[in-house]
Amino acid sequence: MSDVFLPWAPTPDRDSQPWWDALATGEFRLQRCSACSALRWPARAICNRCRSFEAEWQRQDGAGTVASWVRTHQPFAPALLEVVPYRVVQVRLDVQDDLLLIGGWGSDREPVFGEAVELEIVAGAEGFCVPCWGPVRP
Amino acid sequence: MSLRDQVAIAGIGCTEYSKDSGVSTLTLASRAIMAALEDAGLDADAVDGVATFRVGDSVLPAVLTQALGVRDPRWYLDQFGGGSVSHAIIGQAALAIHAGIADTVVCYRALNARSEFRMGGTGRPLVDAVETQYQAPYGYFVPPQQFAMAARAHMEKYGTTEEQLGRVAVQQRANAVLNERAMMREPISLDDYAAARWVVEPFRLFDCCLETDGAVALVLTSAERARDLKKPPVLISGAAWGGGQTLYSNQQPDTTRSAAADVAPRLFEMAGVGPGDIDVAQLYDCLTYSVLVQLEDYGFCAKGEGGAFVESGATARDGTLPVNTHGGFLSEGYVHGLNHVYECVSQLRGEAGARQIEGAAVGLSTAQPGYIAGNASALVLRSAP
Repeated sequence: MSDVFLPWAPTPDRDSQPWWDALATGEFRLQRCSACSALRWPARAICNRCRSFEAEWQRQDGAGTVASWVRTHQPFAPALLEVVPYRVVQVRLDVQDDLLLIGGWGSDREPVFGEAVELEIVAGAEGFCVPCWGPVRP
Repeated sequence: MSLRDQVAIAGIGCTEYSKDSGVSTLTLASRAIMAALEDAGLDADAVDGVATFRVGDSVLPAVLTQALGVRDPRWYLDQFGGGSVSHAIIGQAALAIHAGIADTVVCYRALNARSEFRMGGTGRPLVDAVETQYQAPYGYFVPPQQFAMAARAHMEKYGTTEEQLGRVAVQQRANAVLNERAMMREPISLDDYAAARWVVEPFRLFDCCLETDGAVALVLTSAERARDLKKPPVLISGAAWGGGQTLYSNQQPDTTRSAAADVAPRLFEMAGVGPGDIDVAQLYDCLTYSVLVQLEDYGFCAKGEGGAFVESGATARDGTLPVNTHGGFLSEGYVHGLNHVYECVSQLRGEAGARQIEGAAVGLSTAQPGYIAGNASALVLRSAP
């Protein structure tokens, strides 16, 4: 997945810091509500289903399916001039169908709507590690 | 008492729309507001309320009221937000008038969206209402990308085609040909559409709205008072806003459904009309896809059939539901939602000249359907009987 284009570093906030910290150690973690068991992402202090403040960070495999994708041709910023066009995917996680994440696409071919994808955590800008997805390898 | 038909839009004003206004947003706002007051036959001393929305890209309303010599604005709203809240500020101004807090409120939006603060192209995300940290690392940070993601899902789920997106652009350009304010007045064909460069697949150049410098202002007052003013009042029959689901709310698994679907039922209930009663619709068209999804979510056609509805000709100016009769943001210019209200009022007054839709009496004007901040807003307007 070496060709994923990752131009900028994220700006973590106080809620999301544990998410980024986990990624930096190679782990993809999501919060699970201790009261109602619902998974949630991005990180929040409170569950929007049962309003509990109790949650734990659980390691997940990040497996999902392609919900959509785009291919950017216009260089919307100077940093993009040399790399357009590039693809970005939206992935629906298998563990819960309302968890939709944007990510880099780790393949030269076009994503296929609904295809199974697997997670790879890739080193991006300024030492941050970010989730990317690609076709499931045999 | 219901808000229905209690408050009127009594005056409309706008500046020239351009790629480089050469003036400040304060000057743009002042020009549009003075034009709207003149249209209403009111002096600036009548203004006792002001409402706008911004994303850190326009003059402070307090500076504006000082510049206009409004000594004591009794009611004001400086809403953070983009196109999603463009119609909500008008609904809120109507509430303030209905509650007796203010008599005459100016709603405006002024922006130099091409020459000063571009929403894409500066390398920085403008609206921090989105969870930028989860998108920017991938070079994903501007509205065309965010709408393209939803459009692609709609194409896959419902079979919506690139040609159907193209028909939105072609129909709206045909309307702009008749509009002296429009920035783009050369007709385009489907072939022109398909030959234009990609911006973000599945969007090509003509799927995208025009980065614009300009301002629009609207003067609101009570329906009763508006009857005595210069122009025929256009009544606010329905006003609704809300929704709030985004990618990050964990409550919206279907990205092909927009917040318009949340807003539409209460909007039409307040107005006492249904989609079939709308004579003319100005639908927020930052990207072509936005029109398709709103045709569905405001109930003009079944879910998934927005593309086919446009293809049928229904939304053309000679169709059953003329849409974006000024050319919309795609061809007239992008004043972040308020030029839709301007056009809607023009149509309902019968002042739209070559663009006039015969017999237009009930109009719908809508805000961005929630694809970035989650919320949507809209108005049903009608000619005073």
